[in-house]
Amino acid sequence: MTSRALAWRALTANPARALLAVAGVAVIGALLFDMLLLSGGLLVSFRDLLDTAGYDVRVVATDGLPVLRVPIPHATALAGDLSRLPEVQEVAVFRMDRVVMRVPGRRPDGVTLISVSEGAERHTWRITRGENLSTAGYTLERQRLVVSERLATVLNLTPGSILRVRPTMTGVASAIPEVEFNVVGVAEFEFAMADELTAATTRDGFEQVRAGAAPGEDEADAVLVASQAALGSEAAARAISRLRPNLRAYSNEQVVAQFNQNGFAYFRQISFVLSSITLGFAFLLVATLLTVSVNQRLSEMAALRALGFSRRRIAATLLWESAWLVGVGGLLALPLGGLLALELDRILRGMPGLPERLHFFVFEPRAIMQYITLLIVTGVGAAAYPVWVAARLPIAATLRREVVS
Amino acid sequence: MTAIVEGRDLTRAFPMPAGPVTALRDVSIAISPGEYVAIAGPSGCGKSTLLHLLGCVDAPTSGSLVFEGRDVARLTERERSRIRLTRIGFVFQRFFLLPMLSAWENVELPQAEIGINPADRRMRTRELLDYVGLSDRGHHRPSQLSGGEMQRVAIARALANRPALLLADEPTGELDEDTGEQVADLFDRVHADGTAIVVVTHNPVLAVRSGRRLAMKRGTVVSS
Repeated sequence: MTSRALAWRALTANPARALLAVAGVAVIGALLFDMLLLSGGLLVSFRDLLDTAGYDVRVVATDGLPVLRVPIPHATALAGDLSRLPEVQEVAVFRMDRVVMRVPGRRPDGVTLISVSEGAERHTWRITRGENLSTAGYTLERQRLVVSERLATVLNLTPGSILRVRPTMTGVASAIPEVEFNVVGVAEFEFAMADELTAATTRDGFEQVRAGAAPGEDEADAVLVASQAALGSEAAARAISRLRPNLRAYSNEQVVAQFNQNGFAYFRQISFVLSSITLGFAFLLVATLLTVSVNQRLSEMAALRALGFSRRRIAATLLWESAWLVGVGGLLALPLGGLLALELDRILRGMPGLPERLHFFVFEPRAIMQYITLLIVTGVGAAAYPVWVAARLPIAATLRREVVS
Repeated sequence: MTAIVEGRDLTRAFPMPAGPVTALRDVSIAISPGEYVAIAGPSGCGKSTLLHLLGCVDAPTSGSLVFEGRDVARLTERERSRIRLTRIGFVFQRFFLLPMLSAWENVELPQAEIGINPADRRMRTRELLDYVGLSDRGHHRPSQLSGGEMQRVAIARALANRPALLLADEPTGELDEDTGEQVADLFDRVHADGTAIVVVTHNPVLAVRSGRRLAMKRGTVVSS
């Protein structure tokens, strides 16, 4: 009989104890698995979100949060200059503003209005109903608007609806004239916040709305750049910085690295602390159970040693007991942790101000490998003390003690 | 005839907080092949200590022990384990069968440990269970057996690897008189089949069947 089989028989001889141990490891393992998903999930998801946009360099006027950034002036000329760089394949001007939208018979709602250069919309939203802004042959007297699913629901909009839009003037009563828009489509926006109402229009439409607040402006909130694949985003960012040293150009890697150092550091630390605690619990649980089990079987082990079973064989059997407990519990922990991660992700994604597509818990093969490695280390570590007790057991003294007791 | 095991001037002292306690003092003993030796004496006289030394599960504080021509003190832990596994059989007062294994598996276990192939193991296990009269109880766990049956399974386990020496420490200590007599009969058969036996016992029925009786007192052999 192999050590593995002997360990299995020893565990199943006490089914209640084995089940409790496996359940304990499964619960702890699920938490550990979730912490590992969390430790890199947000970063992976953020990176994925950036890559989805199809642009790998972002040009902005200053560092800092988007809402506090200064717009880039003379955006059209800048886009032209950038597109002539050999490192650059495609350039899109991105505009964003807060506006108020009003439909007859309904209370006005605050909406984020965006505009991207023609052709860039394919990376920014996906039409679910109606048509896109740049659909050929679609002619209307009014400016065109694509609205998010949420906005369509809130204002009861469908393709063909008409609404009025004016810019939001913070802290003042606005008398800026409204611009009439025609909804041509409903879309899912890649970067939309979970709690945000979003709409997109053409550059003309955007400028017409803004004209009331800032006539004649030619600004961009950001310029998005797709680099030449052969040269890479880092080269493109360097070329842009050389061309326009007054602007900040960041590759996706740099944006992710900044995010990793700043905003994400909290999640990483929390995940590290909670992972360590869960590992500690798993270690204590298995070590305690095995130690108690060994102490209850000291005479049995001494007898086996007297019969000629080697220390290595006893140690291997105990290691297998630990492996069975941690292995079965750890396997059960995966679906349990997966379900828990889905629920926790749903709760966290409900936080205001986060892109709807951003996830906190992202499954990665790396997380599974880390999980397995940590469980193996924990299983071996937890078995170390009971193995030491069993291997160093004085055979004669233990047998004598058993008879005397 | 060369002894299977020979101890010379064996002394075993145990360190205690109040000072060392000498359980065995200058005992010399030799067990020849096929011999049947009973060791008797009051509790605490050193019988089990002597048995443990002869079985290579303990080491003397002084004196020498030679097992089949090899100085046990010079052997590694692994080599001593190998001797116990292949050349010595142990029978304990409290049986110490593995409770999660059936009688059959308990007997098979030492054979598996030395790498006997499954077919030969099955044959030997069947033979041994038949030998101890438990061929119909092979699939029963120890908890489903009586004390006498457990001890018979333990004897079968001890004989599994055809040892040259069978050591038994109070093998009838947990059994009633009738069952003890059955176990004694079994030891007679084992002895008759050529295995040397050393049995530590308080049971006169068992002691009287041996070929040589040693009486111990305060760590020494007082009569032989």
